[in-house]
Amino acid sequence: MNKVILFCLLFFIGNSLTAQDKVFETFKDTRVINTHSVEVLKHRNLDFRIGHRFGDLLGDNGGWPTFYGLEIAQDVLFGFEYGVSDQLTIGLSRTKGSGPLKQLINGTLKYRILHQSTGEKPMPVSLTVLGIGTFSTMQKSKDPDLINFFEETAHRLVYGGQILIARKFSSGFSLQLVPSYIHRNIVPFGDANGILSLGVATRIQMTKVFGLIVDATLPVSGSRPEGTGYYMPLGVGLEIDTGGHVFQINFTNATGISEADYIPYTTSNWGDNEFRLGFTISRIFNL
Amino acid sequence: MKKLLIIALLPLIIFLATSVQTKRTIELNESTSVWELLKALGEPEPNHTVNTEVRGYSVAIGKVIVENGFGSVEGKKVRLQSKHFVCTSCHNITKEDPDLSKVDPQARLDYCAENGMPYLQGTTLYGAVNRMSFYNGDYEKKYGDLVTPARNNLREAIQLCAVECSQGRRLNTMELESVLGYLWTLDLKLADLNLKDEEFQKIESHLKDNSKDHTSAIALLKSKYLQYSPAHFVAPPADRKKGNGLTGDLENGKKFYETSCLHCHENERYSFFNLDDSKQSFCYLNGRFGKYSHASVYQVARWGTPPHPGKRAYMPQYTAEKMSEQQLADLRAYIESRAE
Repeated sequence: MNKVILFCLLFFIGNSLTAQDKVFETFKDTRVINTHSVEVLKHRNLDFRIGHRFGDLLGDNGGWPTFYGLEIAQDVLFGFEYGVSDQLTIGLSRTKGSGPLKQLINGTLKYRILHQSTGEKPMPVSLTVLGIGTFSTMQKSKDPDLINFFEETAHRLVYGGQILIARKFSSGFSLQLVPSYIHRNIVPFGDANGILSLGVATRIQMTKVFGLIVDATLPVSGSRPEGTGYYMPLGVGLEIDTGGHVFQINFTNATGISEADYIPYTTSNWGDNEFRLGFTISRIFNL
Repeated sequence: MKKLLIIALLPLIIFLATSVQTKRTIELNESTSVWELLKALGEPEPNHTVNTEVRGYSVAIGKVIVENGFGSVEGKKVRLQSKHFVCTSCHNITKEDPDLSKVDPQARLDYCAENGMPYLQGTTLYGAVNRMSFYNGDYEKKYGDLVTPARNNLREAIQLCAVECSQGRRLNTMELESVLGYLWTLDLKLADLNLKDEEFQKIESHLKDNSKDHTSAIALLKSKYLQYSPAHFVAPPADRKKGNGLTGDLENGKKFYETSCLHCHENERYSFFNLDDSKQSFCYLNGRFGKYSHASVYQVARWGTPPHPGKRAYMPQYTAEKMSEQQLADLRAYIESRAE
């Protein structure tokens, strides 16, 4: 085991020392739609983010009565991310929460281990690891049957990790895989605390400013077979890069924004027209 | 008696010996400092001679500020000067013209490309201490009265750049003297002046003979490099869609794009607006020449961009001395060809 670790260390150090041209902008933002992207912030960059998910566009809960979901806010995110170094980004955000846990404080720690590069010793992919911690600050319920009974404080906590592996195939196409593990300290009866999932994300850059982004996360868990009422979160969006600002308009069946929400608690189905409009605004500042 | 006389006269002899004006000796070779040579010929010291008595003064600190903007040197921390730029974002620190006595943007572009240097809007800091005037010409139109104290004072010029161009903080006394100390290590050397043999010999003869009037030797040396960088603002072409009417050279346009534009814009090095070698970048630029916004190459090349909130720095413009009309036409031709 020690030899394996030493080999990996030497491999990573060796790759960093050889002359390489790093591939830039695999994705334009640190998020795709629901999933994180492999990108981290530059040192001393602060990213202010606002995210929003409206109500169902169509379906039983959408349409004209809710003005196609625009009158409903399924989830809202306000947050910051900061580039501690060119490899390490920390994040803190508050989301409303669309699942049974609400008023979520989300913390992230994101570290870029590998950077896709060309040159003497090319690196075919970029690899980033992401640690997630979410704490629900919602009021404790007196009903022991509800998930927010919070018999212990630890029941408010959801945590997990992701490995983001991406490759920029050309200036117009990037692809990313996201194996994840999310652990919820308290779950509804019959559910599993831990959920493994595999995400995939892609960016198709149509022009310098506009890009098409798609992501999906498939829970690989015994508690998520077909028919249980849980569905794969799938999003499609348009990304607009104005230099300094990245705007995103998307459609997704996921109601939650944070990983603690959309991975375990997506119960909306594209097939039943239960998808919604969402947007994200990201603005980078130099500090 | 004789011995007493000698002992009595000894102090007088010593006094006379030391008070005789000694000729300053200086070794004349390619690496001889031009300023040392000028001073040896009797040129008065400039007002930007370093005050090395300042507490904490360090050339190493000056180097860190110029090249990194912040850092730690021998246990001393240097606070970040600007969130947006460092000096070397806009200024080289090596010679960037083959002939220092002329303003020739094309010769400069060729020289920078051949030597693997970026081609920048700001004049190189190499030889800055040899110049006597700063923020020249049309920079008064841009900075108004701010230019007045900086025009003939290198210290004030550095501070003006630190605050206005870099949108950072003023340097404290120690930092300023340290930067100045570092700039003095970048003063011109004799090899930079491309002296002819007879000119070299003339300088040498003046150095050896203190009785000569050295005015002509000083003038000869000063004629070999510009005492200031001229700066004239140029408007974009009147018809932005048609351009300036010159036929562009694709190779030269490529050279300009790669050595100049990409220095700041590649990988968002100093700008949030990324440019690269992709067709998308060229299509974007090509479609916007005719606009009157910062999306137009004509607009930003000739007028620059204003500071934006959150990123208060900006794109400096290319003066006529830094980008000729032909180079602008070359750049457009290259962008058009890559966008097809």
